[in-house]
Formats: sequence, structure tokens, C-alpha cells
Amino acid sequence: MSTPLLTVAKLEVVYQRAVTALQGVSLSVPRGQIVGILGTNGAGKTTLLRAISGFHGIDDARVTDGSICFKGRRIDNGEPHLIARAGIALVPEREKVFPNLTVAENLTVPAGPRESAAERRRREEQVVEFFPKLAELRSRVAGLLSGGERQMLAMASALVCKPELLLIDELSLGLSPVVIDDLMARIVQIKRELGIAVVLVEQSAAVALELADYGYVLENGRTVLDGEVQRLKSHADIQEFYMGRTSAGARRSYRDVKQYRRSRRWYG
Amino acid sequence: MSRRPRASGHFRTAYAQDLRLIQTGTERWAMAACVVALAGLPFLASPFLLDLANQVFLAAIGALALMLLTGYAGQISLGHAGLMAAGAFTVGILSRELQAPFWMTLPAAALVGSLLGAIFGLPSLRLRGLYLAVSTLALHFLVVYLGGEYESRRGYSTGIVIDPPAIGGHAVSGGLAWYFILGLTAGGVLLLCLNLLRSGTGRAWAAIRANETVAEALGIGVAGHKLLAFMVSSLLAALAGALFGYYRGFVSVEAFSLFLSIQYVAMIIIGGMGSLLGAVLGALFVTLLPYGIEAALRTLPGAERYAGLLFAVNYAAFGLVMILFLLLEPLGLVGIWRRVATYFRLWPFKHRPLTGGQR
Amino acid sequence: MQLAVNTLVLTAIYALIACGYVLVYRVSRVLNLAHGELMMLGAYLLLMTASQFSGHWAVAIAAAVGLSLLVGVLVYLFLMRKMTGEMVLAAVLTTVALGTLLRGAMVLIWSARQHYPAQRLEFTNFAIALPGGARMSLCAALLVATTVLVYGSLWAFLRFGRWGVRMRAAGQRPLLAAQRGINLHAIYALAWGLSTLTGALAGMLLAMDQGLDQTMATIGLKAFPAALVGGLDSLLGALAGALIVATAEVLLIHYVDPLLSEVVPFLVLIAMLAVWPWGLFGTREELDRV
Repeated sequence: MSTPLLTVAKLEVVYQRAVTALQGVSLSVPRGQIVGILGTNGAGKTTLLRAISGFHGIDDARVTDGSICFKGRRIDNGEPHLIARAGIALVPEREKVFPNLTVAENLTVPAGPRESAAERRRREEQVVEFFPKLAELRSRVAGLLSGGERQMLAMASALVCKPELLLIDELSLGLSPVVIDDLMARIVQIKRELGIAVVLVEQSAAVALELADYGYVLENGRTVLDGEVQRLKSHADIQEFYMGRTSAGARRSYRDVKQYRRSRRWYG
Repeated sequence: MSRRPRASGHFRTAYAQDLRLIQTGTERWAMAACVVALAGLPFLASPFLLDLANQVFLAAIGALALMLLTGYAGQISLGHAGLMAAGAFTVGILSRELQAPFWMTLPAAALVGSLLGAIFGLPSLRLRGLYLAVSTLALHFLVVYLGGEYESRRGYSTGIVIDPPAIGGHAVSGGLAWYFILGLTAGGVLLLCLNLLRSGTGRAWAAIRANETVAEALGIGVAGHKLLAFMVSSLLAALAGALFGYYRGFVSVEAFSLFLSIQYVAMIIIGGMGSLLGAVLGALFVTLLPYGIEAALRTLPGAERYAGLLFAVNYAAFGLVMILFLLLEPLGLVGIWRRVATYFRLWPFKHRPLTGGQR
Repeated sequence: MQLAVNTLVLTAIYALIACGYVLVYRVSRVLNLAHGELMMLGAYLLLMTASQFSGHWAVAIAAAVGLSLLVGVLVYLFLMRKMTGEMVLAAVLTTVALGTLLRGAMVLIWSARQHYPAQRLEFTNFAIALPGGARMSLCAALLVATTVLVYGSLWAFLRFGRWGVRMRAAGQRPLLAAQRGINLHAIYALAWGLSTLTGALAGMLLAMDQGLDQTMATIGLKAFPAALVGGLDSLLGALAGALIVATAEVLLIHYVDPLLSEVVPFLVLIAMLAVWPWGLFGTREELDRV
């Protein structure tokens, strides 16, 4: 079994020296695989991705315990631009493109590894091939794009950095099902053709469990469940909390779910 | 209502108790000792020292005014000298043209100050931080221009001479009398500021400084409070300028340069932003610094050739000291003072309290 | 006609200085109130290099320009970089402190008397006769040409150059730019360097035209309203703002009162702030943290 691309071990992240957002999260991402991270609001998913991709000074957030290892090197509390150059690209949930620049300019901005101008242009072309819609929108100002187009641009600009690991925060937020299906197909295509590993943070369990090979469930800053996606899909608690199905397989009203009784299982 | 460690065993159980200015017995003794020392100082000091003390009192009033605006309401002002000039010129013009007595000119100066504050504070209401700084810069140049125009039109090429204020027929003069007048005024202004900050207005300012949007959402009238901060600050600054005019007996435009504004900004930076004690300490430091530099120039070998360029040395020294404080000790002299005080309070324990919200 | 020429020259002066304010503000959201003093430093550096390379004016000017670029980069690296993440207020106050320090230091090093770099460079500043009976000095003409050149290159750089686009991106969303591999410190240092360079060019040309003394920094401060009137983050706005302020100043000095020269830019500024606070071409934004 080859060493995983990314290993997060017992990660603890604190905001403004007061709020602990992550309390001991561990996960590992094998090469070329898609890992899904599920959880409700406030579970710490976005914080996890931000911690991996590097905090900027403004948030006053720090990794206070645990470690993040990428390709064998520690990157916790590293500078965002150095981590990006090392091969990790983040597609954030909000503020994912430069709104006053055109689509073409958004694709020239990312600073990837050192290479010639011809190689760079070739890669930009290659990336646009994944998202052909962008070729038509080259001179459109990014702020005027629709939600789906903006997400495509964000992913494209992340790919221009030539990453080995792609972090995607809330792929499906605010998008219509048709667009989501399209994006999901592209992610599978990217994984297959470029061999890039993907960490997908999702609130929509359906999307995450369909795309991912392996899954983690976060709650209150901790991992409470993990496993192969097949196993997760048939896990009773996942079925009940995220899919709304009872053990009998039928869909239940949320009113019938007795949360407090179940919650003991998570930590048992 | 501060988060500094307090003497152990001292518990506050009511809001009124929490708000009190002097809380423990030790503080009461310390306050009494201060008052006695300050009251006794003028009888033991040389005239030079008395003048120095008077200058410190005047500077303290101006510094407190600026601290209210910048340290608490979070608005930058570079036009402080302009406001002081406005106060001084009001006094000068009124006493020269109308022979008005001080109990008319001083309130007039305060009024002029607050009006200017309203006029120049208004543009900042729609914008944040930087725009008020710019607007105050404009205020400075405008006031200086108008003052210069008045001087040249009236032929006071070197400035306006002001007669000393007369109380009950006696002219106020001499360092001693001024010491008590300025000292009491400074004390009064300090008390005013302390009370303002303890009140709902002070809390509103703190909220605005922390997060304007949230403050507005909580129902605090952000625009009104910002304007109020600026008006109170301008009023006090103009008052300081007016008193300066009477103290020196002389008002001229050259005394109110941009460098003076920068000196006041230096006072609040060096003293420590967000603290009235900081304003006073900063005023003390900045007033004494030029004298210290002059003394240093005289004693250091080889430095005599710079003696002729004293103003340049002052500039450089101010800039350097400000930068050092901004980089190394952003909490200013007050920060140093509090560290020392906390050390003694907590001794023999060494544990520092959780930072979190310490300013 | 002479009035038009004066307006043109003054516009060029203000525009060249204003673009320095805009560069730094647009990229790092900091108001550099030491720009006037840095401009003056550029002129003094020319004085220094003129003494070193007397007779070779091109070398002297090139050396001074290079030194100014270096000064700007160093100011960022050793001073302003420490202020990232702090409030804007602290950063602006730091520039005020820097300006004060520079003013004092410059007088201490070069004394307060008037200097004439043009003489040291053996450069004669003759007057050019223009149609309509107007006259313009050679340096003034050079200044106008330089302003056009600088604005043209800056505009092209920001619009088409890869690092220019990156600078614009970093100015809009610094965190995203960092996440896309852009070293923000390098971008900010470049912005400061370019800003100081353009300011220094203005300072040098002014010094060659009128001599160099303590008061030059005030011109730097007077150019600031021009930048603000146009909207602090727009180059085109700086040009427009410079035109408006210069026109107002020349007209008011000529027809009303020569003493007004110091205060006119600020009167225009106040009028602008009251009516259209974001400037003619600026983007409406909230300003809070660096």
C-alpha cells in the first residue's frame, strides 16, 4: 500500500485564541482517490480545508495541535502561496473567483510551478478542455457569471496551478441538479485523466457518497465515522440522519427521528 | 469594567459598583497621594519646570480630545492642529476686535470647535477610516489659510497679541496661577472623558469601533455617534487651543503646523491607544521629548553641529519613536505600565491572564 | 494660453504623484501618507548621484531611479510588512511616522538650504516658446512627457502583463490570490517600489525645474486630493482628478487670490467628499483591515 498523499493527524484548530473549531480530526487521502467529508453546518469542514490550504494572517486562526503531512512534508501553519505551489489547490465555498477580472484573466492569475510560457499556455488550454463552456466566456467579467459557470471557473483556475490534490468546498451549494450532475461528471473525468486526488466537502450526502471512494463524517470538530463509501451508504445512522430512511428502508419524517437516543452510537 | 487582574478578595456585586472610578481602598490612597503631590509641586518647582508642567496640562487636554476620537471611536484625525488653531484664533479675534472677556471667548471657541467638528465630520459618515483622515487634513489647511488671511489683512504679520484674562479685575498671570487653572481644567476634562466613556455613549463608541455593521444592527445610531465623537473631540481641542492662546498671550499661524497634528497623533500612539491614562502619559512624553533631545545634543560629543537644526532632529526623533512604538509596543506606555502593574499584582504568581480581548 | 499651459503642467505634476498613491492603495489598501517625503527623497538621491556621475546625466538619473525603486521595496519589506493583518489605522499612522522621520533625516543629511540638481548635472533648463505667446520650461515639458509615458506603461502593465493582472487580483481578494500561489509580500513590495519610483520621477523633474528644498513634500500632500477625487483605486481617476484639481487651482490663483494655492486642492476634495465620496471612478467599498 503506497503512502497516502495527505495525512491529517489529530488536528486541532483554534480561532482567535478562543474558539476551538477542530478538536482532533484525523484523515488520510490516498493518491488519485476522491475522499468525501460530510457534516452539518458548523461541523468544521471548511476549517479543515482552510487549515490544509493555509491560513492567512487575517483570520487569526492557528493549528495548535496535531499535524498535516503532504507528500511526506509537514505543512501545518504554512503560508498559503507556498502550499499552493507545493501542489494543493483549494476551491473555496465563497469568494472563489476574482469578480472584476475576465475569465481569461482569472486563468492567467494562478502562479503554478516554474515553466515556460508555451507550457503554461498549453496547460491553460488543457484545463479549458475540461470545461468547454469557459472557452466561449473568455472575455466575460467573472462577476457576471452564473453560479454554475463561476464554479467551473473556480475549478479551472485551481487546476491551472497543476495541483496533485484538489480541495473542493461545497461543490453543490446553490446549484441546480443538472449543473451538479455535470460538475460531478467532470470531477470523475479529472480524477481519471489527471490522476489528481480530491477532497470533497459536502453538505449534500447524495453528491458526496456518489462521487467519493472513501468518506469521513465530521461533527462538532471531530471525525465520528469513516469508511469505504459502500459501507457508509448502508450504515444505519447515515441512512437515518442524512438520507432520511428508517432501518426498514422507507423514508421517514424528520419529526419521528429521535436524535438523542441515537447520538450515543457515534462515540460508542 | 476592565479585564485587568484586580486585587484578590475584591468583588463587585452591583453595576454601580462596577462603574465606580475608584474602587479599592488602595486606589483611594493612591489618588489622594497624587492630588497632594500635584498640588504641592508648584511651590517647590522652578519657573522653568512650572512652564513645562503647564505645557503638559495643555497637551493633555488636546491629547484626551484626540484619544476620544481615535482611540475610542476609531476615527483618524490629522487636523487636530487646525482645530486648536480655530480655538486660538477665535479667542484672538474676539478679544482684539470686540474686547470680549474670557468668559465669552472661551465658550465661543468651544462652539466654533464643535461646529467645525460637525462640518468636517459629516463627510465621514458615509465612509470609513481613511476618508475622515483626509477630510481633517483639508480642515487643517483651510483653517491655517483663513488664519493667515486674517493676519495679513489686519497687519498682524507676526501674530495676534492677546491680553491675559481678567478675573474680578485681576489679570491672571504668572506660572503659579496658570498651573492651577490649567491643572484643574485638565482634571475636569479627564473626568468628563471618564464619565463619557462610562456612559451609554462610551459603550456605543466601543461597539462602533468593534464592528460598525453589528452596532447598527443592534440599534445604535452609528452616524450620530460618530458625529458626536468628532464634535466632542473638536470642542475640547478648540478649548485647548483657546487656553494656549491665553497662556502664551500670543497667537500666530506658524504655531499650528501639520507637525503639531502629528505630535498629537504621536501622543496617543506612544501613550497607548484606547486608554485615557495613555493620553496623559503620551502628552507628558511628547512634551518633554524635545527638551530631552536638546539636552542630549548639548552633552553628546560631536552633536553640536546639529544644534542649529533642532527642528529637523525633532522631526526625525518623533518619527523614529513613533515607528518603534508602532512596531514593538503597540499598546504604548500604558501597555508597559500595565505589564509592570500586573506583575506586582500577581506576584508571586507568574501566570499571565488569557489574552483574548486585551487591548 | 499661458493659463492652459500652466494647467497642463500642474495636471502632469499632480497626476504623476497621484498614481503613486493609487498604486499602493489599490494593491494593499493602505494610504501612504509618506509619499510626499519619499518623492522628496528621490530628488535628494538625484542630487547625490549627480555629484557622483557629474557630466553623465543619463547615468545619474538612471541610478537615482533605481535607488528609489529599491527604497520603496525596502520600506515595504522592513516596515509595512510588519503591519499586515493590523488595522488600516495602524498602517496609515506608520506611514505618517515614516514621513516625519524622513523629513527630519533629509534635512540632517542634506541641510535645509536650496539645492539645484540641474546645475550639478550641467543641465540647462531653457524655456520653450509656444504658440499664443505662452512659455514652458524644458523640464516642465519633460515632466508632461514622463507622466504620459508612466501612465501608459502602468496601464498596459496592469491590463496585459501577467504580474499586472496578478497585482489587480491581489488587490481584490488577497486570500484567494495567496491560495492560487501568489506571494502577496512580493506583490506588495513591487507596488511600493513602483509607487516610490513614480513619485521620485516627479520629485526629480520638479527639482531640476525649480530647485530642491524642504517644501517639496507639501506638493506631495496637495496631490493626494487629486488621487481621492478620482477614486483612490483607479489610474484613470487619478488623471481626471489631477486635471480637475489643477484647473481649479490655476484658475483660482489667477482670478482670486494667489495665497489660495495651498488650500484649493483640499477645497475640491471637500466638495467631492460631500457629493460623491468614492471618487469619480473608484469602486464603492468598505475599508477596514489591511
